[in-house]
Amino acid sequence: VSQVSVCCMLLCCGSLAVPLDCNDGTSCISISPEKLLDRVIQHAELIYRVSEESSTLFEKMFVPISPSALRNPGGKVCHSKSFPIPNTKSEIQQISDKWLLHSVLILVQSWIEPFLYLQTSLEQYANAPGDLVNKTKWVSDKLLSLEQGVVVLIRKMLDEGVLMSSFVFEEALSPYDAQSPEESVLRDSNLLTCFKKDAHKMETFLKLLKCRETNKLSCLFH
Amino acid sequence: CRQPVIIAEISLDNPSRGPHFTGCRSREQETFRCWWSTGIFQNLTQPGALRVFYQTKNTLEWQECPDYTPTVQNECYFNKTFTHIWTSYCMQLRSVPQNITYDEHCFTVENIVHPDPPIGLNWTLLNVSRSGLHFDVLVRWAAPPSADVQMGWMSLVYQVQYRVRNTSHWESLELESGTQQSIYGLHTDKEYEVWVRCKMSAFDNFGEFSDSIIVHVAQIPSKESTFPTTLVLVFGVVGVVILLILLVFSQQQRLMVIFLPPIPAPKIKGIDSELLKNGKLDQLNSLLSSQEMYKPGSYHEDPWVEFIQLDLDDPAEKNESSDTQHLLGLSRSGSSHVIHFKSDDDSGRASCYDPEIPEDMLTASLLPGNSGRGDQHPLVSRSSSSTPSLTALQTSEGAETPIKPTTPSWANMDFYAQVSDFTPAGEVVLSPGQLNSPPEKKKEDDKKIKDDVKIQFQLLSDGAYTSENTARQLAADVPSNPGPNQGYQTFPPQAVEGNHGWNVEYLAPVDVSQMPYLLPVAPPASILPPVSDYTVVQEVDGQRSLLLNPSTPQTSVCTHSPNKQLPAMPNMPMGYLTPDLLGTLTP
Repeated sequence: VSQVSVCCMLLCCGSLAVPLDCNDGTSCISISPEKLLDRVIQHAELIYRVSEESSTLFEKMFVPISPSALRNPGGKVCHSKSFPIPNTKSEIQQISDKWLLHSVLILVQSWIEPFLYLQTSLEQYANAPGDLVNKTKWVSDKLLSLEQGVVVLIRKMLDEGVLMSSFVFEEALSPYDAQSPEESVLRDSNLLTCFKKDAHKMETFLKLLKCRETNKLSCLFH
Repeated sequence: CRQPVIIAEISLDNPSRGPHFTGCRSREQETFRCWWSTGIFQNLTQPGALRVFYQTKNTLEWQECPDYTPTVQNECYFNKTFTHIWTSYCMQLRSVPQNITYDEHCFTVENIVHPDPPIGLNWTLLNVSRSGLHFDVLVRWAAPPSADVQMGWMSLVYQVQYRVRNTSHWESLELESGTQQSIYGLHTDKEYEVWVRCKMSAFDNFGEFSDSIIVHVAQIPSKESTFPTTLVLVFGVVGVVILLILLVFSQQQRLMVIFLPPIPAPKIKGIDSELLKNGKLDQLNSLLSSQEMYKPGSYHEDPWVEFIQLDLDDPAEKNESSDTQHLLGLSRSGSSHVIHFKSDDDSGRASCYDPEIPEDMLTASLLPGNSGRGDQHPLVSRSSSSTPSLTALQTSEGAETPIKPTTPSWANMDFYAQVSDFTPAGEVVLSPGQLNSPPEKKKEDDKKIKDDVKIQFQLLSDGAYTSENTARQLAADVPSNPGPNQGYQTFPPQAVEGNHGWNVEYLAPVDVSQMPYLLPVAPPASILPPVSDYTVVQEVDGQRSLLLNPSTPQTSVCTHSPNKQLPAMPNMPMGYLTPDLLGTLTP
């Protein structure tokens, strides 16, 4: 996916600047849950593509070793979440809507802070490509928008109120201090790879949710 | 379900190595398979010698392959329950008896997904170009049924390729997320082969190509193809014609010159027209004398040579009036004698004879001044010796000598002969050169003149004339010396080629008071200076009369319109009045 198509998506989507609290009489933009879900899915797709591009870019620039070694993430694992996320299709199909939305929200919130770290880490590199830095920054912004959208969805679809990401999950990533450049490069590469995986998860969950909204039967019995 | 016969990812490692994984693939992100080979170790080919163990992040212990495919050798199949996406797997190929791990392979499932080929590929014709040489098609397909795109489990993008049949190069089009694509610019009469494959978006692994279809559009012999051609031809021809017309009009002058060249003015061979206009008289005379037609004897055949015959009724009146009067047939007594010039045969020569001229005018113009009587004829006195001439109107002291009214014999005459005098009987006495020679006085002069003078008279076809100065001197009372410019300069110094005859029509008139008169005397003796044969007309006055002396207003015998006045003539070069110059002078 080229950068051009990403930009087009950005232009199409815009931002999910939906005020969350309409009780105080401020003007709220009313949008139907279906359209909101579409916008959220578009965000997730876009984030996923950009994450894939960022990961590839980072590997080309900073990881001189052959990519096949990286395809072997045996030693490197992404930080596990505080709750298990089903990873087979059958299990995922059995997840309730509530679970799907909550999972997405958790995933989004878990990546906001690491991307901030990633930005500072990229600045430390001498020859970080401007493209990569821009993509990273863009992802950070879009993660916040995505979080807002999912919160509204939860409220509308589940009639639940959730808290915004004011708390920080306990991260498996230790603070970046006193690490050698090679380690930091590997760590960042791993981070991008893991993020790409989680972005795919978010997209998949949201699409499944969408499928259920349109045609519940066909989605369940595929 | 269809077992993909795939030689999965060929390992680039040493082919002579031991047992190793040859690849793992997933078709729909729900199941996957792994294959291995025994390598060069032949003792491990029996089934069960090699075993596959895997480990995921979820389960920390190694588990054995859940399903060794019975029909396919060396394949391990993981079904839906054992396929965890977003989870990294590690495979190990072990030989259990020896507890040797020959190979290890780690991956995550979504990274090994190679989707199945799309199905239902077909094409429809979009349009054919006007020339009938190109066409566009729309190609359609459907997602592979194994891929759950509806749920969004897999987001697929497709790639269409086409080629001319039986060639080796495939044209690839851009990735398409939908299930249709247009192909533009295909050639008619060529068979195309089209197929499509897919992959997961944002992943790198393409699936297999679908079955290819043949796209072919027969070339329609377009009847319209000739129509634009004819239009183009017509417009081209019209454009060219317009261009030609414009060119002709813009270059009209030049083209006229090229295609319709100006008709050359009549030329006489060897004679330059400019010389005739502006040259000196002597040059002209030499020029003309060199012409063949003016050789002696040629004049006989010229039909236009005309001889003036004078017809005087009363020769006896000569004694009473001047010779000139006799010449013109007039007397103070108002004789009605009129000399009839044979103007009937006038071919081309302007005859100044106008019978309508009132007699008194003629009388006045013809009355000579008596002062000339007895004196040496002005003509005679002024002629320079360097200008030999035929004896023109020569007076002699023997002016009273009667002249025999002899008919001049025209044969063997000079080309020009000047009338020297008139007999009272009305006969014309010619200058030396004529056979009926005048009195002896003239003879010597004749010879002298004959030898010296070459006169070219035929300058204009419309007749001869007397040079102005000559005429002036004919009539002048005062023997004033005309000066070098006014002498008988009209005669070239060259000797005339004999006297072939004469062609005298009339005598140019002079002033009223200075009547030109021709003394019917015998040609003068040698004392008489040669007189120019003719006078250059210097001017034409308003009455269309030729003025031989521009300083004095003169009337002419030829006056046709007595009341007109002409502007003064420009300073004439030595020579004669050309017709065009004459034309310029007419009012």
